[in-house]
Amino acid sequence: MKRREFIKQTSIASSLALVPSFVNAFDDILLNGLGHKRLVIIQLDGGNDGLNTIVPYRNDIYYKNRPTLSIKSSELIKATDDIGFHSSLKPLKRLFDKGFVSIINNVGYPNPNRSHFRSMDIWQTASHSNQSLTSGWIGRYLDAYGKAPYDAIEVDESLSLAMKGETLSAIATNNAQRLFRTSQEPYFKSIINHSSDAHLSEHNLGYLYKTLIATESSAKYIYEISKTFSSKQTYPNTQFAKQLKTTAEFINSGLQTKVYYTSLGGFDTHANQTNAQSRLLSQYAEGVEAFVNDLKQNGTFKDTLILTFSEFGRRVKQNAANGTDHGTANNVFVIGENLKRQGFYNNIASLEDLDKNGDLKFEVDFRTVYATLLNKWLNVDDEKILNHTFQKLNFV
Amino acid sequence: MTQRDIQHLYWRAGFGILPKQSQQLKSKSRTEIVNELFSKSARVTPLEIDIPELKHIDFKSIQKDKEALKKLGKILQDKLSDFNEAWIERLNNPKELLRERMTLFWANHFVCRENNTFFAQQYNNTLREHALGNFRSFTKAISKEVAMIRYLNLQQNRKKSPNENFARELMELFTLGKGNYTEQDIKESARAFTGYSHDISGAFKFAKWAHDYDEKTFFNKKGNFTGDDIIDLIVQEKQCARFVCKKVYSYFVNTSINENHIESMVGVFYPKYDIEDLMRFVFMSDWFYEEENIGTKIKSPIDLIVGLNQNVPIQFKEQKHLLTLQKLLGQVLLLPPNVAGWKDGTQWIDSNTILLRLRLASILLNSAHISTKQKGQFNDRLDKFIKRAKEKQLPFNVNHDWKHFEQQFKNVSIDDLKNHLIMVNLSTETQQLLDDFGKSSKQEHCIQLMSLPEYQMC
Repeated sequence: MKRREFIKQTSIASSLALVPSFVNAFDDILLNGLGHKRLVIIQLDGGNDGLNTIVPYRNDIYYKNRPTLSIKSSELIKATDDIGFHSSLKPLKRLFDKGFVSIINNVGYPNPNRSHFRSMDIWQTASHSNQSLTSGWIGRYLDAYGKAPYDAIEVDESLSLAMKGETLSAIATNNAQRLFRTSQEPYFKSIINHSSDAHLSEHNLGYLYKTLIATESSAKYIYEISKTFSSKQTYPNTQFAKQLKTTAEFINSGLQTKVYYTSLGGFDTHANQTNAQSRLLSQYAEGVEAFVNDLKQNGTFKDTLILTFSEFGRRVKQNAANGTDHGTANNVFVIGENLKRQGFYNNIASLEDLDKNGDLKFEVDFRTVYATLLNKWLNVDDEKILNHTFQKLNFV
Repeated sequence: MTQRDIQHLYWRAGFGILPKQSQQLKSKSRTEIVNELFSKSARVTPLEIDIPELKHIDFKSIQKDKEALKKLGKILQDKLSDFNEAWIERLNNPKELLRERMTLFWANHFVCRENNTFFAQQYNNTLREHALGNFRSFTKAISKEVAMIRYLNLQQNRKKSPNENFARELMELFTLGKGNYTEQDIKESARAFTGYSHDISGAFKFAKWAHDYDEKTFFNKKGNFTGDDIIDLIVQEKQCARFVCKKVYSYFVNTSINENHIESMVGVFYPKYDIEDLMRFVFMSDWFYEEENIGTKIKSPIDLIVGLNQNVPIQFKEQKHLLTLQKLLGQVLLLPPNVAGWKDGTQWIDSNTILLRLRLASILLNSAHISTKQKGQFNDRLDKFIKRAKEKQLPFNVNHDWKHFEQQFKNVSIDDLKNHLIMVNLSTETQQLLDDFGKSSKQEHCIQLMSLPEYQMC
């Protein structure tokens, strides 16, 4: 049976007759077919040390400030005459050499906050540093342009703030089958079948019913589409790679999801940084390479863009425990097939002109990256989502 | 007072009410019942957990010992989950019910996040102490709390290099709301709060050397204002009373605001700012008991957990399970998302939380099973489902006390159960659904009712 027919049949078989049109998950595919643009976000939790990730190996200030932590030029994978990749990033460098990577240096925001928690909050809500928002930037994208929870999926057990909107939130799952089974609880099915217009029109109670119905429908949609595809690509045996494999299966099976959210934690390297960061960067780069290969083999890479960020970089000067403390601006990776600006998008951060804490002064506002992704990649009105006008960059 | 009105009052002023107690109150008047709520909350019982490391501590000597200080810091951070558990335990068994509900409310108004358990505990007890007191003194006390000083960078707020973080949130989130002050007002008031600091024991310390004694211009008035002066000037604005009343209304009455009700509340609250007077006015108002305000609020995760516990007490065998549950539901006490706090209402609800919320009673109380046995028919699938449910590892390991439920609901018939567990009037469709499933036992029916979307409302 062809997939379209299959979808058509299941949509008729399910109890969607009662469901308002906004949750009717299946029209989209029938009308639009496949091949929409999608964004995959990778969050590096804890503040990755960007300076030991993309290394200015001809900079004396770098070596002076990091007597035991700096990486010798001979140990780096050189990209230019003065910049080298951390040796764990060999797989990423391969993608870089193919022109699939754009590295935006020195990304941050004014009045940087050095608390993990607060800075992550700022990155996830796209707020100013003196502003607290209760919805995430992807959540507000869903508010304005989403139709169903499955429009954005977090490959995890619960949702990050980034994925929560005011009226529509994403759905979190790292196991589509488990989510589906949970949503198929017979009692809930009966509740859905017994819901009436009166239920749906009530303000708060109606919202509960609508969310339940949309969830049942999204869980079913994700499970039934994604089970038609099983990845043949070999992935490293890590939690992170598993998330990416699940994401690839979601994408390659033809889910109409626009945004995927994944994360890799452990980057808060205050002490004995060298080994910890090496291990994490390997996990990152090996996972991402397998992921890209998987997408390429299935013809979905051209419509996928991967954004990698961390809540902040780390201080230029190392600390006494062979680690680094919380810093400010950091590099952001954008990975895709048809990038307008391949390689290094801008110059690496200056180490001469630091702020009073000895941290980098940001050059690119992270929200200009978001605005670019929303406007030029997802083709939506970025100002509506970010509530502010940000300049657009030229990487896509 | 009618049973439903009593239940409504107790859901908003507390976490629901058991049939036995509402039965006792039925014969009393609204005035009597509301007065009792307040008189029973007159005292303040601080919430304190045992931190043996702090018992015989000499703050002076430890201040010089960097290693010992670091160790203590780690211990105090680790105790935060104990305090989280203790707070929920307190909500489950409150001595002063209304005061505890108000404390929870204020914790999401004067939002603060503090990793040091000792400081967090002190902050929490300041909320408790002022919960029904005077808003003006309350705000002043909050501005001098070590946790707030640390959270909103008052310590970095010094003469010639002011940090505006506290001044901004004071006006935007604590007193006036956006658009009711200028950027210049923030700058000037930040100068007034310079010098706010604390010592290692958590006591407020005013650092004269860091304070800006020069003249400031705030709300078009000139003077050598201190932080307390600024708060006095802020509460002189009627907008401050209006802002707080709206927040109270949205939490205790309805998220959709009725401006007439707000104005009558402001009339009571301004200019004295007596919180008890305000709350008494709300609970005594006829509009508080209007149908549009009953059962129309979505329970917060804490309302849900504590409310369920009223009916069937539960005990988590592992502390981390209680934390996981809060995390999955989207509200870990003491860890608000940011200074704006948790947004009430539909913001609690997403695809993942709705599924967990609806399954919660069955998971915690009934091995994940919700009875759907049709009347007079043997359901083969059902038995398979039960078997599977028992086999699979449940995510939470709990002890439950159904005996308490049986005792408390002894005089409630199985058909009447819904009137005690659900605040929403059930639609005919939902009623039909329940009738179809049949009510084999009070316990099973309790689980069925608690698994309805209607149970999520209070």
